[in-house]
Amino acid sequence: MAPCILLAEDEALAAMAIEEELLAEGYEVVLAADGQAALEAARVRKPDLLLTDLRMPRLDGAGLIRALRAEMPDLPVVVMTGYAPPGGAQAFGGAGEGPVALFPKPLDMDAVLVALRRMLPPA
Amino acid sequence: MALDILSLPAPRLLPPGLCSIIEPDILYLHIISDVAIGLAYFSIPVVLLIFARRRRDLAYPWVIPLFAAFIIACGTSHLMHVWTMFRPDYAVEGLVKLVTAAISVATAILLWPLLPRFLALPSAELLAREVAERRAAEARALASEARSAAFVEHLAEALFVIRIESGERWIIETVNPAFERMFGIAAETLRERPTEAAMPPEVLAQVLPHWRRAIATGRPVDYVVEAQAPVGWRVWETVLVPMSGADGQVERLLGSARDITRMRRLQSDVLQSARLATIGTMCAGLAHETSQPLNTATLWLRNARVAGEAGGTEAARTRLRRAHDIIESQLRRAGDLVTRIRALPGEEAEAPEAFDAVRIVDPALRQVAMAYAAEGVEVALRSQAARLPVLGVPPRLEQALLQLLANARDAVLDRRATDPDAPACIIVTLREDAGEAVLEVEDTGPGVPEALREAIFDPFFTTREPGHGSGLGLSLVAAVARGMGGRVEARNQAGGGAIFTLRLALAPASSLTTPVEVLN
Repeated sequence: MAPCILLAEDEALAAMAIEEELLAEGYEVVLAADGQAALEAARVRKPDLLLTDLRMPRLDGAGLIRALRAEMPDLPVVVMTGYAPPGGAQAFGGAGEGPVALFPKPLDMDAVLVALRRMLPPA
Repeated sequence: MALDILSLPAPRLLPPGLCSIIEPDILYLHIISDVAIGLAYFSIPVVLLIFARRRRDLAYPWVIPLFAAFIIACGTSHLMHVWTMFRPDYAVEGLVKLVTAAISVATAILLWPLLPRFLALPSAELLAREVAERRAAEARALASEARSAAFVEHLAEALFVIRIESGERWIIETVNPAFERMFGIAAETLRERPTEAAMPPEVLAQVLPHWRRAIATGRPVDYVVEAQAPVGWRVWETVLVPMSGADGQVERLLGSARDITRMRRLQSDVLQSARLATIGTMCAGLAHETSQPLNTATLWLRNARVAGEAGGTEAARTRLRRAHDIIESQLRRAGDLVTRIRALPGEEAEAPEAFDAVRIVDPALRQVAMAYAAEGVEVALRSQAARLPVLGVPPRLEQALLQLLANARDAVLDRRATDPDAPACIIVTLREDAGEAVLEVEDTGPGVPEALREAIFDPFFTTREPGHGSGLGLSLVAAVARGMGGRVEARNQAGGGAIFTLRLALAPASSLTTPVEVLN
């Protein structure tokens, strides 16, 4: 079964483009328009990886990571952000054991795909 | 026993000139007494005259010769009396008496009006008391002077005294130890020296207008001066008090100076922080809001590329590929700009670590030295510190230093473009100062215009032509400095050229991992 990526991104156009790339790579994708929606989707279908924006309505990326990591401490997380949080990727590392990668926007999609391949079992 | 000369019978009179005293005992008594009196009277004036000669400070000295004349006249009349006992020169005796009478009467007349004045003269006892009082006052004055001297000696403020001599000559009379400490100048190199010889011309140029004003108005003035002292860049506030002589002309200037370098730095830090906080919020918002559409556009461009390869003629595909390349490079350019703006608030994306700033400088200098040398720009390192432990992200400090070096190079080349003989030199200094790691980049360029000294650190501020330089270089340096608990300052040196100073918080020396540990 293809690894499932939970994609939380409030910019619909960006989310569409990323989803297309991930599907083309052979991943299964669950799309959520904000943190809260992502959290609910994760309870329905347990993801293998979280690919999330930081600034989102209702529940932001940091809150989403904390909540998901509470349930799945080993969940790998890839953060896409327009903000560089102080402390970098380590800022999200403390909440669980799983690896965290941080990518600034605009995204270098090739680099993101390399990271995903590294963090996920082969499709 | 004396006989009444008139009652003596004429025949019994002794021969003329002989004494009319018959009894020899009485005769001798008179003779001896008169001669003794006469001689004594001749001796006393000699004493008086010697006294008058030696003591030139006598009140009414003309009284002494008058007394002397009076006493001599009296003595002469006594001796004349003895003479007339043997020879009847009564006319001569009478004349002598007349002279004596004249001098006596004159003395008596002159003496009475003098009496109140003599009484007014202080007595020896009074004088002694006055002298004792004066001595006590003098001792008090000396003690007070000693107290003042101790006060001046230990005062925290720098004190100096300038003596004004004719022809606009200013002499440094004295300075106190606080002055020596504040400026790092030994007092003996200043004392009794003319100001133009003892003081740097740029400091003199700053202070002289204030000194002249104090002299012209006769009133205290205060002023602030900033300049390079042997102990480093200093800002000080001086209160100058003119001291006038008896003729009302200002003779001396008393100055007390307070070092306000730190206070100024704190003030400017507070201002800079407030401004940078605003700029930081703005930059972060701008970076985020711009990154979203850039992100979407970049992602869809990949989509477009794939679609473009799918159909159409080869010529159309080539054209489309070229268009996509251009769009991608422009998006990347905008993306790079967003990344740089994002870095400006000074928050590091990487976790800070303790490292030795000295070890960053060497590779950075090596990196540029060759290229700069090819342009005729010399780069020199003047390190006064073996180790400068700081806390931050090493590549960011290196980036900041490279930025300062690039600016220095541009400044040097600018100056040489207008003045081909100008020196082309960049000096990097490393030192520790008051608990801070100081990294200075000094150039021989045209310097920073005074009005722009603060503005040059603002994002997008540039003195370059549009298209040359983003105006983010110094903002980045300021951000790095801020991220490392420090700041950056720009100032001009006296001989032209700018100095950019990075002041970073020192980390504990123990926080440094030694090279051995790194190897392990």
